[in-house]
Amino acid sequence: MAAQITELTFLENLARRFNIPAPEYLTAESSGNAIRSALKRWQGKAVIKPDVLSGKRGKAGALRVVTDYVDAQKELKRVQGLDVNGHLPRTSYMVQFIPSEMEVYSAITYDSRYLGPSITISLNGGMDVEDISEDRKATIPLDIFKGLDAYQASEMLEKLGCPRGVVSILSRSLVDLWDMFISTGMRMCEVNPWRITPGGKPYACDFKAIFDDSNFKFKNIGFELPEYPANSTLFEEEMAAWNASSHQGQAHVSDLGGKGILPILFGGGASTIIIETLLQNGGDPIFLSDFGGNPPYERMYGTAKMCLDHHLAKAKLLLILGGKANNTFIDVTFKAIADSLQNYVDEHGPVNIPVVIGRGGPRLLQGLLTMKDTLDSIGMPYVIFGPDTPVTQVAEYAARLADNWQEVKVKK
Amino acid sequence: MRAKNLSDLLKAGDRVAVSNITGREATGVSVASQQFCGNIVGGWALGKGGQKIEVPGKDPIPVFSTVEELMKSLDEDKRPNKMIVYSPPMAVYGDVKEIVQHGKGTVETIFVITEHVSIEVTAKIAEMCTQANIDVVGCNSLGIINAHDKVRVGAVGGDSPAESFAKGSSTIISNSGNMVNTMASYLISAGLGTAYGVSTGKDTLILSSLKDILKLANEDEASKLIVLYIEPGGLYEKEAIEILKTMNSPKPMITYITGDVLQSSNLSLGHAGAVVEGEGTSASAKMRMFDEYFGIQPFDPEKKYRKSSELVTQLKRGIRIRTLHHLPAAAKLVCDRLGIVRDFRPTKPLSLNPWFVDYKGAGKQLLSKLVLDPGPIPVPYKSQAKMIEKVSLGANYSRRNMRNSSYASSNDGKHTRLFGRMVENEMRTGSFVSSVFLSWTGWSCPDYQVNLLEKCLIASLSNGPGTISAQGVKLSTSAGNAPNTAMIASLACIGDVHGGNGRKAVEYLLGIFKDAPIDDPFGENPGLDLQKFADNEVELFAQRRMAAKDAGIDYKRIPCLGHPVFKNDPVNYDPRERVISEYLEQKGIGNIFLEFYHMMAHKLKERGIARNVWAVNLDGAIASVVLGICWKALREKRITVRRACDVAFMIFALGRVAGAGGEFLDHQDMGSPMDMRIPVSECVSLTRPVD
Repeated sequence: MAAQITELTFLENLARRFNIPAPEYLTAESSGNAIRSALKRWQGKAVIKPDVLSGKRGKAGALRVVTDYVDAQKELKRVQGLDVNGHLPRTSYMVQFIPSEMEVYSAITYDSRYLGPSITISLNGGMDVEDISEDRKATIPLDIFKGLDAYQASEMLEKLGCPRGVVSILSRSLVDLWDMFISTGMRMCEVNPWRITPGGKPYACDFKAIFDDSNFKFKNIGFELPEYPANSTLFEEEMAAWNASSHQGQAHVSDLGGKGILPILFGGGASTIIIETLLQNGGDPIFLSDFGGNPPYERMYGTAKMCLDHHLAKAKLLLILGGKANNTFIDVTFKAIADSLQNYVDEHGPVNIPVVIGRGGPRLLQGLLTMKDTLDSIGMPYVIFGPDTPVTQVAEYAARLADNWQEVKVKK
Repeated sequence: MRAKNLSDLLKAGDRVAVSNITGREATGVSVASQQFCGNIVGGWALGKGGQKIEVPGKDPIPVFSTVEELMKSLDEDKRPNKMIVYSPPMAVYGDVKEIVQHGKGTVETIFVITEHVSIEVTAKIAEMCTQANIDVVGCNSLGIINAHDKVRVGAVGGDSPAESFAKGSSTIISNSGNMVNTMASYLISAGLGTAYGVSTGKDTLILSSLKDILKLANEDEASKLIVLYIEPGGLYEKEAIEILKTMNSPKPMITYITGDVLQSSNLSLGHAGAVVEGEGTSASAKMRMFDEYFGIQPFDPEKKYRKSSELVTQLKRGIRIRTLHHLPAAAKLVCDRLGIVRDFRPTKPLSLNPWFVDYKGAGKQLLSKLVLDPGPIPVPYKSQAKMIEKVSLGANYSRRNMRNSSYASSNDGKHTRLFGRMVENEMRTGSFVSSVFLSWTGWSCPDYQVNLLEKCLIASLSNGPGTISAQGVKLSTSAGNAPNTAMIASLACIGDVHGGNGRKAVEYLLGIFKDAPIDDPFGENPGLDLQKFADNEVELFAQRRMAAKDAGIDYKRIPCLGHPVFKNDPVNYDPRERVISEYLEQKGIGNIFLEFYHMMAHKLKERGIARNVWAVNLDGAIASVVLGICWKALREKRITVRRACDVAFMIFALGRVAGAGGEFLDHQDMGSPMDMRIPVSECVSLTRPVD
């Protein structure tokens, strides 16, 4: 998954850097004195929030307005351990309560219709964008080279009926928002809402952003991304680091929590189709994988080793499957998997599960026969298909075979 | 878009240039493309100008340093109108910018193959190329193929595009490059070939989007049926359907949309662009949109689709398939009901056809419907399988770049290892001979085999100063060379005739015994009638010899039989071979290859081919020992046949080069400079002076 940040990271690292007006804040680790004096400074009113990778925190009962020190302490502790829509917070924090008479929604993202960035604004902030009717929000394409200028922003706000006194100051903040978006390699950022004080001053009162992992600006963002609990398994983390260590070949995995089939899959398209077919047929795949992109031997060996080390012991079937490759050398990738499997068996002893293989592409036969030889040598049963059998049929067969294999013992 | 028809994206006669052409992937794909259609006029890579990419059977592809240099250097009629970008992600923007700068007016289309290009750069490319009136396909596209013109750009179809892309009437437009190839090969079973296969790419921003390509496909005469592979993300399909609704009679489509189950599991999909961003972008929304547009439920292979005007009206728009292997049946339905003539006779329907099966004895415990028998391997794989499987002995390694890699040795900064074993431990418990063999083969031998190898090495040290290899080292020493050079001179004087017979003997023995029931060449092999093998071989040799003599031509000798010195007794022996045989006897073990050699020598005498029993020479003994040691690994395909043959040769070479060291020291200390020179008076001229 692409890297994401939420309000607290925005407050800590970005708001001041890009001159985006935002409420004052304190983290849960702040001292009692700091909390007391902040409450005093904020006219005795603050909002306690969990820092969690989930929207709809209000609906989940995770946002609390507090007015005294004891409540603030209690709530900072409480929301820290709160499960918010299946996600656990990494910490909690307290922000200054901003009184307002008006809330504005804004988001900048890349838009498939314009093949470039766009900005969406609504004066009905505070609610989810999909719940805002089309006539109450406006989207305009932005020039990727020039970005958003204050004139464009003012024009949009005026068309939406924004009060004159707010247009100018909010436009400038929206331009700063664009500046942050383009300077940090984001693919989407959303401020929802901007709370506009009775005096007409906007404050960015909630925030989320998704980065583009491929953008070099993100790689030099200047601060460390926070780690959220239990968002990824050790296997996913190791594979993500392994994938990031080279641009040769892909090593994408997402844990599915299954206990049936260990799938080593090739091709973004084919892997999705295969996993869907396995799920539909009770195959219980352990994870989703995509290992295409013509990985060289050492990359594929490392990838396969990681999959086997983490999951082979509990798998009911090893599935090595992909469509008809255009440029992935099958002999190289299969030799790497075969060596990794051989080493696994040398280290851990025999493995009593079947291997189902299906593939097509350059240097196919040599690859299939390498796998066959290795499987013969380590005594693992196998069924090997060529590109004349569709991947979906192979996946259906693998799901049924895995289900039936449980009582089967391999002849010594 | 600049293109008005699919052929404007690619047709015969288009000239293609490749960025970063010296990169691993770009080179491989360019060579395959050049062999397939020969449309690449050049490539560029910074600092690599002046190189050439060799293409077997074709002219090499010239490499330039920059686009500018490429455009200026090529004649006007060879300047590229299509560009493929294979640059690393960070270089893509710069490359496209240069293409626009130097190719404006000439370049029509840029195909960006590179993955992991940032969305920002993609958006900048879109803006820049729109201004320059250049179409962009990608990023993260695999390219395009025009099967009628037999041309492609990128890697569509891999290294044998003709295998999946028979020319025909379906056009495939796919977010996934792999699926272009896969779907085209499935359509063949329905009797449908391909007009165009287009990989649009699958990043967040698809610069030649579905609506653009669909418009072109609807203008293309060869395309009668359009097949779509679609993933979640973007509003491309929503836009496409809006455009289709405004067309008079758009061509029928078969769509396959994936990502629904995974999307409901809230999991990331394989492709970067497959991120659900809102209404109309999810897989389920796309399915719904297409089903509504088609006006018919997704294809059901069990259902009987009765002829009706309503069905024809629906199929004219198209139908969605739920799973990939329904594609040929759905295509058949659309073609039959709409009267689209299929391109050729349908092949065997798609079915489970395993090529290799072995349940390792568990088949009887499985449900019978799950137990599959191996089916026929289709062409062209059948002949390849036979060719590879023919080699019943020896490993069949895949090749890889070995520039900085080694199985034989490693060094992690703390320990040097030979095939993973620490040199220190070999020093403590092994011997020089066992360690040499370990580094050559990857395993350690039992003691008796180490002793046999040691005897072979000792025997190889020298055969006197007159042998060619000894003469080599003496000549080099006499010229004043250092020990390494002199020892190399000895190695340089070993060849097929002197010293190389051991390798030939291993090849020879493998030819005879490759399918023989030998479990352990040093042990009992009850199923083996060795005498029969010797008799057969002598008989074959006799026939070969007679036929050659009748024809007055030379014939192939049996390697390692006979000796220039030990040849006059009724039964002759090479004394060094005797030592090896005696050791085997003393240990109570045999060596069937050495026994076979002796049996042959006797049989040749019996058959009247030899006047006495020839000696089995040292090379024959070395070959028998080495093949005996390597046999199990060959049977288990752990080493190649070539390695076993070379090891036999290298045993002799190692022994002899050590012996050459002795000759060097001896000659250096005792000999005179230039003493190996032959005086002019002793040299014989065989030509008459002409001036």
